Amino acid sequence: MGRTTSGSRRLLKWVGNTLLAVLLVWTLLPFYWMIATSLKADREIYGFEATLYPHRPTLAAYARLFRTTPFVKYVRNSTIIAVGNTLASLALGCLGAYALARLRFPGRSLIARGLVVTYLVPPALLFIPLFSVMSFLRLIDTHQGLILAYLSFSVPFSTWLLMGYFRSVPLELEEAALVDGCTRLGSLIRVILPMSLPALAVVTFFSFTQSWNEFLYANVFVNSVEVRTITTGLSLFVVEDVFFWGPMMGASFLSTLPPLIMYLIFQRWVVKGLTLGAVKG
Amino acid sequence: MAISAGPRQAFRGDVLVRAPVLGRPRRSTTLRQEGWLAWGLLAPALLVILLLVAYPFFAAIYLSLQDKMVGAPGRFVGLDNYLALFRDDVFLRTAWNSVVYTGVAVALKFVLGLTMALILDQPRRYNNVFRTLLFVPWAVPVVIVALNWRWIYDDLSGFLNNFLITFHLTSDIISWLADPRLAMACVIAVVVWSGTPFYSMTFLAGLQAIPKELYEAAEIDGASTIQQFFFVTVPRLKTIFLTTVMLSTIWTATNLQFVLILTRGGPGNRTEIFPHLAYTTALGARRLGMGAAISLVFFPLLVVLIVLLTRRMLRPADE
Repeated sequence: MGRTTSGSRRLLKWVGNTLLAVLLVWTLLPFYWMIATSLKADREIYGFEATLYPHRPTLAAYARLFRTTPFVKYVRNSTIIAVGNTLASLALGCLGAYALARLRFPGRSLIARGLVVTYLVPPALLFIPLFSVMSFLRLIDTHQGLILAYLSFSVPFSTWLLMGYFRSVPLELEEAALVDGCTRLGSLIRVILPMSLPALAVVTFFSFTQSWNEFLYANVFVNSVEVRTITTGLSLFVVEDVFFWGPMMGASFLSTLPPLIMYLIFQRWVVKGLTLGAVKG
Repeated sequence: MAISAGPRQAFRGDVLVRAPVLGRPRRSTTLRQEGWLAWGLLAPALLVILLLVAYPFFAAIYLSLQDKMVGAPGRFVGLDNYLALFRDDVFLRTAWNSVVYTGVAVALKFVLGLTMALILDQPRRYNNVFRTLLFVPWAVPVVIVALNWRWIYDDLSGFLNNFLITFHLTSDIISWLADPRLAMACVIAVVVWSGTPFYSMTFLAGLQAIPKELYEAAEIDGASTIQQFFFVTVPRLKTIFLTTVMLSTIWTATNLQFVLILTRGGPGNRTEIFPHLAYTTALGARRLGMGAAISLVFFPLLVVLIVLLTRRMLRPADE
């Protein structure tokens, strides 16, 4: 019997390694094709001479991307909006979460529930009337408008996540600070926040990447090139009927880097944050 | 006397009687102060939610009862938009497509995600590296995923045809996204590619939280690997399975980017789904009222998920 278990274990290991190889190919192939395309000259990209790998690698596509398209502008806009949204959701999230985690007032559990519901209501349902709200506030075609629109999903998420985390900070620590004459806000900043760095990392990661990756609101609430973000900008490369696949794959690769780098840095905490309740499909 | 009669009640009554004299005034002022402070701290977040989620939500319902077009005042038409939808062939096709799209994509993501998690849970050298690599699609913006795959599927120069022809696996060019029989499957493949890591991340975290002693005990009792999976692993992961599937169902069903970029609903509405139909109706055909109605039709189904999820996501809280 001992032999069969070790035999079946070896079989499992073998099956596992094979599947791992298949999954790695499946996962990484699109990246390979993206990067390979971005390093080819047009001759190798299209038609009969199309190649499976760049025979003569060149950075020409990148040169064209920077010289002839508003790519840099798009990146600038995405950065402004993602950073603005991240800072605002950290601030609003911390204040709201502190109230929900530490203060007692009527309606507290109702608000906590409302937050989660809000987070789960999909943007696909809201974008039509939200357009009138944005027009009414004169926020169409502005960075502030998109920052605000993205707060509608980043604030509920960050408040909910931080609330759970703040609760786990021992009450005694805060009481000591309060007895020593610290105000409520003082104890939030000096006691609770320093102990909640992992949660703040998760909030930073999600606010930034969700703003960076968002498409629907960016597409509906912005028309001008001056404010257009990278996701809508890229999708317009195709719609304009001329297919610049070389520069486009270069742009795809470059604009994947910020969320990718953040993922690599914040990985450890993000996976923990996910298991707390989970984000983004 | 009171203690022997009914200890708890008497004691409680005692405190209640004494409370106003001693503790209560001071306590209620701090409570009231805390209440003000709490509302002050929550005000910005609540404002955001009321303005950007609650109001638009009810406005969407109201809009769906009008025949509003872009730039023109709407007329109240009651349920006409909804009734018209159910007589519309494109809509009925869309409804069926949405069910297939969401159902198949979620099922595949689940199976693939669980496989991935089980593999990564096996002891192996460099497992950290493999895990990081397999989870990478999760960090890639969906628009870029869709564009990238559109290029892979490209008829003339895309990777798939290029590869198949180079290795003589096909002699004809296959139009992946334009073939009515293939288009939906091709779109779903992209959705699965992009969404699987989310499943494996949560599943893997769940697997790693299962105490190893449980497996040892099961093995001593003579349970086979398959039995261990069904009687130890699955019961332990049930909660994570449910939460992940519910969240992912909401997100999958309401994401329009894959369809918008890959097929625009074509060929011949074969890949048309609710969010995309709402989008084209409202912004392309400029029929705002009808667009709102389309996006709201599937909402009742989502409500069930949202209610169940809200309960789950707040469970660790002491409400």
